Amino acid sequence: MESVIELNQVNKSFNGFQLKDLSISVKKGFITGFIGGNGVGKSTTIKLIMNLLQPDSGTVSLFGLNYKTHEKEIKQRIGFVFDGNIFYENSTLVDMKQMISPAYNNWDDSIFDQYVDMFELPLKKKIKTFSKGMMMKASLTFALSHHAELIIMDEPTSGLDPIFRRELLDILHNLMQDGEKTIFFSTHITTDLDRIADYITFIHNGQHQFTKAYYKIEENYAIVKGETNLLDRDTEQEFLGIRKTNYGFEALTSNRQRTENIFGDTVVIEKPTLEDIMLYTKKGKERYAKSYS
Amino acid sequence: MLNLIRKDILLQKNEFLILLPALFIYLFFGTSITSITWISIVFCIGIIMVVFSKDEKSSINLLLNALPYTRNEIVSSKYIGAIIWMAFVLLTISVGNWIMHSEMVQWKQLLLITSIVVIFISFAFPFCYLFKSRYLMNASIVLFCLYLVIVNTFIVDLNDRIRNIVHTILSLENTQLYLFVTLSVVLLYVISWILSIRIYRRKVF
Repeated sequence: MESVIELNQVNKSFNGFQLKDLSISVKKGFITGFIGGNGVGKSTTIKLIMNLLQPDSGTVSLFGLNYKTHEKEIKQRIGFVFDGNIFYENSTLVDMKQMISPAYNNWDDSIFDQYVDMFELPLKKKIKTFSKGMMMKASLTFALSHHAELIIMDEPTSGLDPIFRRELLDILHNLMQDGEKTIFFSTHITTDLDRIADYITFIHNGQHQFTKAYYKIEENYAIVKGETNLLDRDTEQEFLGIRKTNYGFEALTSNRQRTENIFGDTVVIEKPTLEDIMLYTKKGKERYAKSYS
Repeated sequence: MLNLIRKDILLQKNEFLILLPALFIYLFFGTSITSITWISIVFCIGIIMVVFSKDEKSSINLLLNALPYTRNEIVSSKYIGAIIWMAFVLLTISVGNWIMHSEMVQWKQLLLITSIVVIFISFAFPFCYLFKSRYLMNASIVLFCLYLVIVNTFIVDLNDRIRNIVHTILSLENTQLYLFVTLSVVLLYVISWILSIRIYRRKVF
């Protein structure tokens, strides 16, 4: 399957933060959700993908091209949405369009107008008066108006009201119909991904944990609940993370079938949410932290 | 890259509508060569630095770098833009002076203005890419205060001295010297340009 984004053994370190041997590939024609807690490297990764940062080592390629030789060609094919305002505050949408549209070879005024109508965006109001939701709609309008093949979004749904979040997800879903577009977006609102993501890429502390098809995650991972006396040094090895309470334990396994075989009917096995997976992975890294509730 | 310069013009259009009449009013009242020289320099540097500072926010850098431009183009657009703004102010002054006082501005005077502005920018741009134009602003306020203090206490005739120097420079007849100055200024600008590209290439937003 063709990859649109390919990160290979990418390392990048700042003061007190490091991306380690990050290898990610994002498949063409699908929506990939990019999850991880705050400060684990999601925005840094997105900046690396957009060439806003250069890796210390490793390679970043998009559409099979690299930024050194094809920077403009690559950026022509990307639509981007960042968390927060990146426009000139004292300008209006019309001004911004005049500034941004000449940059793109494939700019399409009719699409722009269509989204402006659909989102009911004011063309003559200063951007600084826009609410968070309007800002997001404006960003999205620009991202979609030049027939971009790849849409990259950094936390697009954070701070949005639930109604617009759903609308946004519908729009993204509709965009995918022709199979030519690819969407890569980071979020920590994992319920958004339940609706639309085909793949999930999970990073923690600057390290890639997994990239998996969404349905595979549900097949493989499971939340296991049972009494604490079932746990010993061997059985604990079965889990990625365990949370012990006064009433029993709750744990995450990445091999549902095996866990079922080991514990049988003595435990309850449930479908995990992405949040469970994030939480227990973090816990597992901190080595079985205890919490009493 | 032309798109980036066009963007700056679009962003700046309102300020122009205010600046142009201001420039004309000043021309109308100020007639001496020194004052025209002085005011041209202030207008040139003012416009160029305002245009520059609008793009300084890291969010705007995020936008510009995410659009299909390279970092070289973003920096170069500022250097080429500066020349365009300067040409614009000088043209306005020349035309204004011709209309109001029916006399042409001396080419030597234009050269002097251009040289001073270019020298200023050659230092200011790399400095601002490395730090922020706000510091430069603070520095100029301090310098201005210092100037006031000097004029009022130490060298009372500082303005006259400057005026004399300007007159002396403008009355020189040595073409070779002018050529040498022009070349040095151009060289300085090019070096500053290359330096800014290097600084901006490593910048993190």
